[in-house]
Amino acid sequence: MSRVTFAEKRIQKELMALKNDPPVGVTLDDSSLTNIYRWRVHIEGAENTLYEGEHFILDFKFTAKYPFESPQVVFLGPIIPVHPHVYSNGHICLSILTEDWSPAMSVESVCLSIVSMLSSCKEKKRPPDNSVYVRTCSKNPKDTNWWYHEL
Amino acid sequence: MADNPEAMPECDSESSGARSRKPASNTATEQSDPPEGSMFECNICLDTARDAVVSYCGHLFCWPCLHQWLETRPNRQMCPVCKAGISKDKVIPLYGRGDTKHEDPRERLPPRPPGQRSEPENSAGFSSFGLDGGFQMSFGIGAFPFGFFASSLNFGDMRPASPQPGTPQSEQEQFLSKVFLWVAILFILWLFLA
Repeated sequence: MSRVTFAEKRIQKELMALKNDPPVGVTLDDSSLTNIYRWRVHIEGAENTLYEGEHFILDFKFTAKYPFESPQVVFLGPIIPVHPHVYSNGHICLSILTEDWSPAMSVESVCLSIVSMLSSCKEKKRPPDNSVYVRTCSKNPKDTNWWYHEL
Repeated sequence: MADNPEAMPECDSESSGARSRKPASNTATEQSDPPEGSMFECNICLDTARDAVVSYCGHLFCWPCLHQWLETRPNRQMCPVCKAGISKDKVIPLYGRGDTKHEDPRERLPPRPPGQRSEPENSAGFSSFGLDGGFQMSFGIGAFPFGFFASSLNFGDMRPASPQPGTPQSEQEQFLSKVFLWVAILFILWLFLA
């Protein structure tokens, strides 16, 4: 009866790839993996950037519509990077997580994009609307109508 | 900002194909090369592509996978790998040898778009143009008034049997049917001229 769905098959493939051949600075947290639809991935700030030496945890939630629907990705506390596109509740303003998502992307490419987003930061600060957003937003960042602009 | 297409593992498989035997550490930071033998993996399900189609931009997908993606965002259809414009008409199906037993992939759901085969120059068909276009259209319009008369003049099943040929009644009916035929033809002409 345990038919593997399309989403599960694809997630499983990504899981194996990330386990066996992770990119630099990205590690899958095996111990937290109780459910294939929920992952924790550790990322490291890249060398020669403002985040060098810092560690962060990303929380991935997939739906049964993955990869046609993007995963829900947030930073998991207690340490949330201070960055103009990262809210203090862990929500990330990054277009590939919503409207620019494509099914050819993967957990790995999302992690690399986030590391790269951190790397391009010039000044560590919270988004200007942080306090309002954190008080009013939904738990799921995908419910937010993000207004993307160039870095 | 992260340049997403560059992070895609398979986006330049052509150039990396010859070099994929180098140690992985060389390339691990920017783009992790796909493991060897993954050249023909669908970019969506990451399995070997079945009912394969390739986009004009050169990216390989299973047709069912790509179809579902196109359905997901019907008004913003982009190649998942490089974001080029893409649509059902802008992919080419790949038929391998030995694929003939599934003769018509269109019969399976969702349909894979057919290969485009242009006719040789000299036999570009005139007849098919005439049949597909003009004839069917005029037939559709012309049939309408007859249908209208038929439905409004038939009351129940009270229709008498047609008279013996040669009798005056039969001649009258012949005449009447001719009159109606001409009325119909005039009506159609009027439709076209109006």
